[in-house]
Amino acid sequence: MTTNKIFLVDDDLIFRKAATVLLGQELSEFDVEHFENGLEVYNELIELAEASEKLPQLILLDINMPVMNGWELLEELKSAPHQIRQQCQIYILTSSIAPEDMNLSKTYEFINGYITKPLTSEDLKRIAENLA
Amino acid sequence: MKTNTSALHSIKHSLIPSVIVDKDIQIVEWSETLLHFFKLEKDLVLKELSELLADIADASKNQIALSENFTETIPVINRNGQERWIKVNAYPFCDKGEFFQISFDDVTFDKNQFDLAQQAKRMAKVGSWTVDLVNDKLFWSNMTKTIHEVSNDFIPDLEKGINFYKEGKHRDLIIKLVAECIESGKSFDEELIIVTAKGNEKWVRAIGNADRTNNKTIGLRGIFQDIDSVKRQQIEYERVNKRLRIAIDSANVGVWDFDIIHNNLIWDDKMYELYDVNKKDFNGVYDLWESTIHPEDKERAAFEVEQAINGKKELNTEFRIIKQDGSIAHIHAEAEVFWNKKGAPYRMIGANMDVTRMKRKDERLRHLLNVTEKQNQRLLNFTNIVSHNLRSNSSNISMLSGMLKTNLSADKQREFIEMIQTSSSNLDETIVHLNETIKIQATDGREIHQTPVKECIENVIESINALVIESSAKITIKIDESLKVNAIKPYLGSVFLNLLTNSIKYHNPKKQLKIMVTAKVLQNQTIISFSDNGIGIDLKKHGLKMFQMYKTFHNNKDAKGIGLFITKNHMEAMNGKIEVQSEPNQGSTFHLYFMNNSKKLR
Repeated sequence: MTTNKIFLVDDDLIFRKAATVLLGQELSEFDVEHFENGLEVYNELIELAEASEKLPQLILLDINMPVMNGWELLEELKSAPHQIRQQCQIYILTSSIAPEDMNLSKTYEFINGYITKPLTSEDLKRIAENLA
Repeated sequence: MKTNTSALHSIKHSLIPSVIVDKDIQIVEWSETLLHFFKLEKDLVLKELSELLADIADASKNQIALSENFTETIPVINRNGQERWIKVNAYPFCDKGEFFQISFDDVTFDKNQFDLAQQAKRMAKVGSWTVDLVNDKLFWSNMTKTIHEVSNDFIPDLEKGINFYKEGKHRDLIIKLVAECIESGKSFDEELIIVTAKGNEKWVRAIGNADRTNNKTIGLRGIFQDIDSVKRQQIEYERVNKRLRIAIDSANVGVWDFDIIHNNLIWDDKMYELYDVNKKDFNGVYDLWESTIHPEDKERAAFEVEQAINGKKELNTEFRIIKQDGSIAHIHAEAEVFWNKKGAPYRMIGANMDVTRMKRKDERLRHLLNVTEKQNQRLLNFTNIVSHNLRSNSSNISMLSGMLKTNLSADKQREFIEMIQTSSSNLDETIVHLNETIKIQATDGREIHQTPVKECIENVIESINALVIESSAKITIKIDESLKVNAIKPYLGSVFLNLLTNSIKYHNPKKQLKIMVTAKVLQNQTIISFSDNGIGIDLKKHGLKMFQMYKTFHNNKDAKGIGLFITKNHMEAMNGKIEVQSEPNQGSTFHLYFMNNSKKLR
């Protein structure tokens, strides 16, 4: 089992704040935790994987971030404990509408979806259906 | 009649195959060598001459009967089918003419040689002619008639003969030559055109010599040869050769010929022209070649020539030469090596072409391509930014404003409006960055001037004095006051500003910041180096992205990912480049390369 946690990974503070309000409206039973780049969330996930019930149900992942971007994180996760890939639903959440990025996301089997910003309540409703 | 039988017997042991016949042409004695000569059995008794020579003519027999000497060559077919030519000599054996000795000689070899010579004469289409001036007669051999395309019963005379020569210079010349030959006995040997009886034009070789007695020419004799096909080939060859020569001359191609065995190199005049040297000033052409070739290319070119001689690789190369006025020319060289039957190289012929102008055009094209590629890269960056930075801010605004419509608390509403303002100012800033990027256009060198370096750095430090004092950085500038680089002044200032503020931004909080600026002047370029003892960067991880737009590497809130991108663009716009060396926690060094002679860095 996993906790009712959502990891929101984005370097843009304004987006995180706005998204948190939106998540509060649509997925109110979840707690939202903020991460500014891939490395921060990676360290947290590795730590949590030892007690897998503490892993988040949902990860919303931005692509363009400093230090470790979304693709680099996904590469790292390939060789990370399998619980992370199995138990967490990962959605890419990006402002990029480039087809290359969209295609690249399809090469990762453990990705559940690709959402382009702005994030809407419709997006979150769809995610909620999959989480149930 | 008495016969000296012992005399007759004496021929028995003659080394020359011979027989003795009596007046009735009956054989009375023969030499032992005769049996061997005609391959006859030893105990055979010979009676009739026809047993030896079936074809001996009755006429010959008659001649013997008339006691006359005669010589005849007769073909004989051997028992094994071989053809032999036998020369028969008959002469009276003793003074009274009672007996005749007939000797035989095998002349098959001589006969064959003679036939071959005849055949060769026919093949070479060589005829002969003689003029008997005394009787005013002209004799032509059959071949001479064939060449003139007249029938064998044609009777020539001097006038007819001369009229076969083509009217105009050919006929005029033969008349003059024949007249001279008759007058002074001067021989001639000339190639001329005749028009045959069938109207064909033909090249012939006419050779004539005078027969003289008492200083007077009594006759002429000569050789007449059909050289039409050879001559036409020669004319065609000369024509092609001439055309080739014109092509070579107009293509500015020099030709050289290297005798590998005697180590002797010959240049044509064009080569001397290409290399801009005087033929007389040099003893050995090879030394001359070596002395003009660019030092950087000498070893390679010599190696390539060697490889060609060894048959490893054909010579098809380019190298630079330095002309007398110091200018550099690019030479394209191709050559072919000739090997003897044993596979040893003995000769090499090559062509050199000055491709400097082509090369320059090529370089300019390459430069243009480079500029275009960079512009494309910038455009690509531009679209990336449109996709990312513009969209991230605009999507924030649309998301926030959309949520304002929902029922939010008054506090949240206020917060959202503030965030919308922040997003819109971020959007504005992004657009300013984009503007800066677009402004850096590729220059064609006209805006690049010699710019004093130290003064420029000092101005930059002055402009951010407060920041420098706050960071308590120690800045050392080890640059000569007079040092200038080829740069666009505002770009140079911008580059320095960026590197300085980066050093301050990413200083190590545990150490006092030290910045060192040095310069190194090389022949082609000047390198200005910026070193700091800041937090550095892991180049293995970030090296490739270092100078890309909107890439940041530290958790620094001020990092925008635009500074080094613009710096790189500035350096490239000045035909320079930027490189970095760095170790995490050790500091960073940025090297700025400026071209000294407004040429492109490679």
